[in-house]
Amino acid sequence: MHIQLQGISKRFNSLLANDKVDLDIFSGEVLALLGENGAGKSTLMKILYGFYQADEGCILIDDRLVVIDSPYAAMALGIGMVFQQFSLIDNLTVAENLMLASTKTPKWQWSDRTHWVNTHSCLSQLAPTIQPTNRVHDLTVSEKQLVELVKVLDADARVIILDEPSSVLTPLETQRFWTLIRQLADQGHAVVLITHKLEDVLACADRIAVMRKGRVVEVCLAHNNQKPELERHLSSEDLIHLMVGQTELPVVHPVPPSLAHPRLHIQNLWVGEPAAVSNPGHNAVRGIDLAIASGEIIGIAGVAGNGQQTLADAVTGLLPLTQGTVHLDGAPVHQAGIPYRTRHDIAYIPEQPLQNGVATDLDLVKNLVVKDINRMPFFPRRAKQRAQALQLIQAFNVQPPNPDQPAGNLSGGNLQKLVLARELSGSPSLIVACYPTMGLDISATQFIYEKLFNHAQTGACILWISENLDDLLRYSHRIAVLFQGEIVGIAETRRASRQLVGKWMTSGRQAA
Amino acid sequence: MKQAILPPKQLLIVLFNLRNGLLAATLIPGTLFLLICGSFFILVGQSPLVLFPAIFNAAFGSAYSWTETLLKTAPILLCAIATVLPAKLGLISVGAEGQFYLGALVGTAPVLAFSLAPKWVLMPLMIACAALGGALWAGLSGLLKARLDVNETISTLLLNYVAVLLVNYAVYGPWKDPSNLGWPATAPFPDAAKLPTLGWSRLHLGLGLALLAALSLYILLTRSRWGLSLQIMQGNRKLAKGAGLRFGRQVVLVMAIAGALAGIAGIAETSMVQGRLQPNLSNGYGLSGFLVAWMAGQHFLKIIPLSILLGGLAASTDALQLFAGLPSSSAFVMQGILFACTLAYKGLNVSMRTTPRL
Repeated sequence: MHIQLQGISKRFNSLLANDKVDLDIFSGEVLALLGENGAGKSTLMKILYGFYQADEGCILIDDRLVVIDSPYAAMALGIGMVFQQFSLIDNLTVAENLMLASTKTPKWQWSDRTHWVNTHSCLSQLAPTIQPTNRVHDLTVSEKQLVELVKVLDADARVIILDEPSSVLTPLETQRFWTLIRQLADQGHAVVLITHKLEDVLACADRIAVMRKGRVVEVCLAHNNQKPELERHLSSEDLIHLMVGQTELPVVHPVPPSLAHPRLHIQNLWVGEPAAVSNPGHNAVRGIDLAIASGEIIGIAGVAGNGQQTLADAVTGLLPLTQGTVHLDGAPVHQAGIPYRTRHDIAYIPEQPLQNGVATDLDLVKNLVVKDINRMPFFPRRAKQRAQALQLIQAFNVQPPNPDQPAGNLSGGNLQKLVLARELSGSPSLIVACYPTMGLDISATQFIYEKLFNHAQTGACILWISENLDDLLRYSHRIAVLFQGEIVGIAETRRASRQLVGKWMTSGRQAA
Repeated sequence: MKQAILPPKQLLIVLFNLRNGLLAATLIPGTLFLLICGSFFILVGQSPLVLFPAIFNAAFGSAYSWTETLLKTAPILLCAIATVLPAKLGLISVGAEGQFYLGALVGTAPVLAFSLAPKWVLMPLMIACAALGGALWAGLSGLLKARLDVNETISTLLLNYVAVLLVNYAVYGPWKDPSNLGWPATAPFPDAAKLPTLGWSRLHLGLGLALLAALSLYILLTRSRWGLSLQIMQGNRKLAKGAGLRFGRQVVLVMAIAGALAGIAGIAETSMVQGRLQPNLSNGYGLSGFLVAWMAGQHFLKIIPLSILLGGLAASTDALQLFAGLPSSSAFVMQGILFACTLAYKGLNVSMRTTPRL
């Protein structure tokens, strides 16, 4: 089987997720789709799986043009996908989940023995430790992943797309998973492995397609490919290079302010598993030491899910610390687990503004004054608040500019602007910004950067978490990389290169 | 700020819009209620054409029936406030009944202990104790919620039974008046423990307190910093935490205020209607208050007319017994039907909207 993606383009509003992508997928081969977050890997594969429709381009299977307008159509063609989020029903058994997903048995005919025998053999082959009568909520994450895989195989998929499969696995489980992927390929399946981890690629891929900014920038053979073909082999340095790009823009803020008197002092900050795990979306943070001087911009790079949100929440006082201290201007930010954010005037731009940054039922005025809630008079003057809100809304160009509408009416980018308008007003002494320009167009992004850097000039510390390496390297004074909850590297941006940062991001300290 | 005066066209829409206009919101569930209630009357062998006017007369027909209705409105309104206020923080409290009983119990204590005290001492003391009792009872649920994340609906529900049994214990046991000859009740309240009344009528301070509480809470909730912080906490807990607001404290505070109001309702009923602490003093006011709160969509002003309506229904039980020989509990049946009709209308409205917002 040979799948050809030809000239696939996909646009989400202003974002061009895929830009005329060509890609070939062959049976019996593991194709690694390597790239940073937001490079367009998942979008491309979701187009192949029928989850999205391409704006341009076509898909050919064995030289026949096919239309894949839904995941059902994809499954009928033998294409299956395992997503990062599992779609299993926790309270049912493994067998029931498999039966439920099966396209072959009608729902009223669960007792079809022959089909069940097939499924069962598939399950016992892939995952001998899982009993079909186990409840899904008793399974580990890796076992759930296997059940998802069985679901896909049970639908006779010949092309299996795995979206970041190793991100949920422990190192040992990952190794087992690599073996499994090799087995599948050897049985004649085509496996597409979406990943941003170099080790995945090196361990089990036959061919590597590197994506950056919506394009496939390189397709090459992997080291362990034995086929004597005349394609290029690339070193891992080259791969990182390809992944993160090579154009180096001039550094805007070259000389960091003196660290003789740091304003923000993070010492040996640990947030352990229990606290992190009980708050969804958090990964543990281990032993962070960081000092930020007044007026300094520190960029935190790293692949998503390496503890960024935990770090941000811990520094702003939202998460209890397992160990360590955070001092701002010599005073602890944490006191008995209660955030003293307002007292210190810490501005926090959280990721996912919809969940973390706004109250969707309340109007824009109320959303904008939240920050000052403990400073306003008992009966606030609403006309004054409304006028101030209107000013902010206009300054940050929130559309539509009606201060009386509930925040839930706004689109994602405008919600982000609303949060920015609130947090970047006043004169905060520390700004923690997580992906502050997410969902904004270029002019809005520039405007936000100007605001942010103005605050730095007037003496605020800025902790800036982003995945945009170009901007981090260009605008911050120093850049640090989070990898599995640790800072694996920190350097002044004028001395750092994309190469170095990319290496830290993908393979942690060993590479440094 | 919302516009104070609506242009005529918008006013028409507010009033007569078929789906959610004021008129439709009253007429549709009202008609539904009359239909279902009417069938219920026919089922038990009565003519709805006779009974409905009788009920209406008994509730709103004369000055006397109005005082009876308003007398029952006071506890219902207070219990409704005790439900609405926690709802402003996203809490579903069903504990008004228990807080009502505990207010009555704790409020009775100083009356029995200092029955000879002058009125200006005894009456305020009685009210304060009742408020304290209700506040502690509800605050307990609040504390459990804030500290241990115990579901407040369950804890308030279960504490209701405890409160009723505590009152029973007191009036069957230590507080029973020996001169009652076995009748489970305390000694009658002295005049010093009576609330001031409105002129010649039986209407007492409780109604005034209830109206004052509803109005001032409405203003506090919509205009004050405290109200804003409650709104933010209900809107997004994470955002509130980041702004330095403490959810746990507010849960306890809000529950305590709610409990205090329900407790005052309890002592007012004990002192002014029953005249003594005895079992079954509530007449289902906690439940009625809960129904009112939900029918009004947890709105501090809308609960006032609805409380009067349910007060009227409760006052008409005598008429039902007299004219139709129906048991007094048939008022609860009517209450239930009214509640179901209102909620059905609301549910219908929500499901008919193009973009449901949950």
